[in-house]
Amino acid sequence: MTLERTVVWVHRDDLSPLSPALVSHPDAPAIFVFDDELLREWKISFKRIVFIYECLLELPVTIRRGDSVSEVTDFAAKHGSNRIVTSSSPSPRHAQIVSQIAQRSEGRLSVDIIERTPFVHAPRKLDLRRFTYYWNAVKDNVLGS
Amino acid sequence: MMDLKRDFANRDELIAYLRDEFAEAAAVDDHVSETRGGRAAAEAQLAKLGKGKDYEASRNYVHGPVSRLSAYIRHGVLSLAEVRDAAVAKERLSEDAEKFVNELAWRDYWQRVYAEIGDGIWDDREPYKTGWDRERYADQLPDDITAGDTGLPCIDAFVRALYETGYLHHHVRMWLAAYVVHWRRVKWQAGARWFLSHLIDGDPASNNLSWQWVASTFSAKPYVFNRENLEKYTEGEYCKECPLYGRCDFEGSYERQQRRLFPNADPSVFGGEDRRSFGRGRGRGRR
Ligand SMILES: Cc1cc2nc3c(=O)[nH]c(=O)nc-3n(C[C@H](O)[C@H](O)[C@H](O)COP(=O)(O)OP(=O)(O)OC[C@H]3O[C@@H](n4cnc5c(N)ncnc54)[C@H](O)[C@@H]3O)c2cc1C
Repeated sequence: MTLERTVVWVHRDDLSPLSPALVSHPDAPAIFVFDDELLREWKISFKRIVFIYECLLELPVTIRRGDSVSEVTDFAAKHGSNRIVTSSSPSPRHAQIVSQIAQRSEGRLSVDIIERTPFVHAPRKLDLRRFTYYWNAVKDNVLGS
Repeated sequence: MMDLKRDFANRDELIAYLRDEFAEAAAVDDHVSETRGGRAAAEAQLAKLGKGKDYEASRNYVHGPVSRLSAYIRHGVLSLAEVRDAAVAKERLSEDAEKFVNELAWRDYWQRVYAEIGDGIWDDREPYKTGWDRERYADQLPDDITAGDTGLPCIDAFVRALYETGYLHHHVRMWLAAYVVHWRRVKWQAGARWFLSHLIDGDPASNNLSWQWVASTFSAKPYVFNRENLEKYTEGEYCKECPLYGRCDFEGSYERQQRRLFPNADPSVFGGEDRRSFGRGRGRGRR
């Protein structure tokens, strides 16, 4: 018996049944939130919503709409959970939500971020000023040659 | 907040439900894309992936053999690594997949830049190299563009496709972005917001940084095109019966476009090999 009860927060950068967050916690309840602020701010069109929804219907997730921080916190509470697992995202909004969840719960909830499968293991710190520098550094690794 | 529904008899029922639940979005534009969401659809599309050499030879054509995997990749339904593996597995020589893998790498590159600069993707990375200060660019898209009513049959058709399908071929994205930023002198941010709203694969990193590449705020020179280039890669689809043929906004050589659009630009920006453009055999490919 583990004392830790986990819920998975699925976000829209990782809508695969093979998502590492889902695969590593097959029995944990999972949630996806259509974030009202995000929908408004990005004016997400109806066709994008339909596409995302169709992806969600193939995942074992509860679908909600509202404020991500409140919905995820509420979902964790409902399942008596103190740990949230989510997969990584470069989006600053993702980082913001993660830190607000921890803050608002006053430390009762921890959030673990699982890295998604990388495209390439970079041999060293990459120079990102132009694509060509990046490509020359990773090309051999990427092609597996 | 109540849980949203998960059981639907068919796609029509799902769409009717979502039209109610997301009424604000549906009121703006209620088109549904032919690109279906989900892993099953993604795998079916991945199974159609063609040979790397065909991709390399013809991907610039609007009806060329591109993968149409972007919406799945953007939402993590397929990882870049598994798409790469599938592409390489199709070839006897892994080099034959290189061009396609190089395009996948563009996404990885933009994601890495995004992880580093965050919301900085909304700021000009560098000054415009067009000879115009950013203040000379309008903040908003003109109504005739968003209404698909510019009178240019190609541009208006691209806008309709954006609304109706949520997908545009890469070359079309470049033409439309160049038209907005350079021919109409609108800030790239306005165009980027517009694309992000409608593209099913809409991704802040790939989208904004590509707009910046076209605008020249993240590249050495502005991207422009001409009628000949558009006519070739659309196989005459719009030009053939165009009433403006021979006198449209895109007529003439690249030099002519550059002189007309950027009369104040530093001439060295367009010097040497750089005068050539995407699809005309620029050494580095389309970027
Ligand atoms: C102005 C502009 C805006 C764009 N906005 C987006 C966007 O919001 N989301 C998005 O995913 N792509 C964007 N792109 C990049 C590119 O146009 C699309 O990824 C590509 O056209 C998708 O079609 P495909 O899957 O058939 O591509 P393919 O040619 O089959 O390429 C395979 C995959 O590689 C990746 N890829 C290919 N080219 C690029 C590229 N130049 N940059 C980044 N990734 C690439 C995509 O994931 C694509 O699915 C934009 C390009 C421009 C010029």
